[in-house]
Amino acid sequence: MKDSMGLSPDSRARFNLERASVLILEESTMGMSILVQILTGFGAKVLHRAENVEEAQGLVAKVELDLVVADALGPTGEGYDFVRWLRRSRIEPNCYVPVLLTAGHTPGNAVQKARDCGAHFVMTKPLTPITVLERVLWIAREGRRFVECDNYMGPDRRFKNEGVPAGQVGRRRDDLVGDVGEANEPNMEQDSIDGMLKTRRVTL
Amino acid sequence: MSSVKIHIPVVRLAKLLRTPGGVPVADAVKRAGAGLESLRAECLDELRVTLDQAELCAGRANGEYDAAVADELYAIASAAIGVPTACGLAPIDTALVSLADLTDYLRTRKTWDANAVAVHLRAFRLLLHTEAGKDANGTKAILEGLRRVSQRYAKSEAPRAAAG
Repeated sequence: MKDSMGLSPDSRARFNLERASVLILEESTMGMSILVQILTGFGAKVLHRAENVEEAQGLVAKVELDLVVADALGPTGEGYDFVRWLRRSRIEPNCYVPVLLTAGHTPGNAVQKARDCGAHFVMTKPLTPITVLERVLWIAREGRRFVECDNYMGPDRRFKNEGVPAGQVGRRRDDLVGDVGEANEPNMEQDSIDGMLKTRRVTL
Repeated sequence: MSSVKIHIPVVRLAKLLRTPGGVPVADAVKRAGAGLESLRAECLDELRVTLDQAELCAGRANGEYDAAVADELYAIASAAIGVPTACGLAPIDTALVSLADLTDYLRTRKTWDANAVAVHLRAFRLLLHTEAGKDANGTKAILEGLRRVSQRYAKSEAPRAAAG
């Protein structure tokens, strides 16, 4: 049975995490063991473990990272602060590294902090191998825009890009105006359209 | 108005994932699952310790709101989320999430409901003792009950807390 939204646990598609340098920030021993088992199961061999923010910051300064899996670190949400620090650190290329943030529970007063810290994805526990893998593959996608401004630094949160909200003017340079207008000439030659719709023999 | 810089950084991870070799998704998921299975005994021990800590902590409340107790119980419950599923006891995770929700709501409202907390801890003990899920319907009923209890405090109007 498929227990994730996009990736089948039976897929034979291959991926390679062997050479990826991964930082895990997790204060709980069991939480760390769970992540290590999941990531080594995926073939990751270069794991840097940090039990607190200071250790993680030290590793960010010292090691080139390809992926960060950081826990929110309990009710204080130090993990969110760590990701915010990472983005603002200007330690390249680590400040742009894909970050998967995990949280056991997000208290009501930390939701905004979680949203604004600059992580690529906030994943609530419990973690299962298929959901972690799905998120790792998703946050590794190329071409994601990175936003830097006074109060936010991190991946563009409008990843769905469903266009400018109705009735509003877009703030992006490449946002288009909503008024498309009437077509005044065909977009494609009729032959091209016919070619795309050509009947083909299929075996069912 | 503040300036906004938008750019597309190089994602080395994407290139690494595509390098030859590696592992098929199905094998990776299976290997990770086997790795988690090897932690089962440790996870169960951890959950027993968590339950003992939570019961001791809740006992200190004496039926009244105590910010330190509420914070500590929230921290205990939320820190353990994820451990049960790793050892195949997913229903206990649902119970822990409900307990974390409940204590978070109680902290926010600065109130205490000893019965609501106690019913969560008893359910936790029962699910741990029976290794959750032996009786799927019974487990489902317990979890639905817990959810109803914790969600009472999610509503804008607080229910009257029972001090019992």
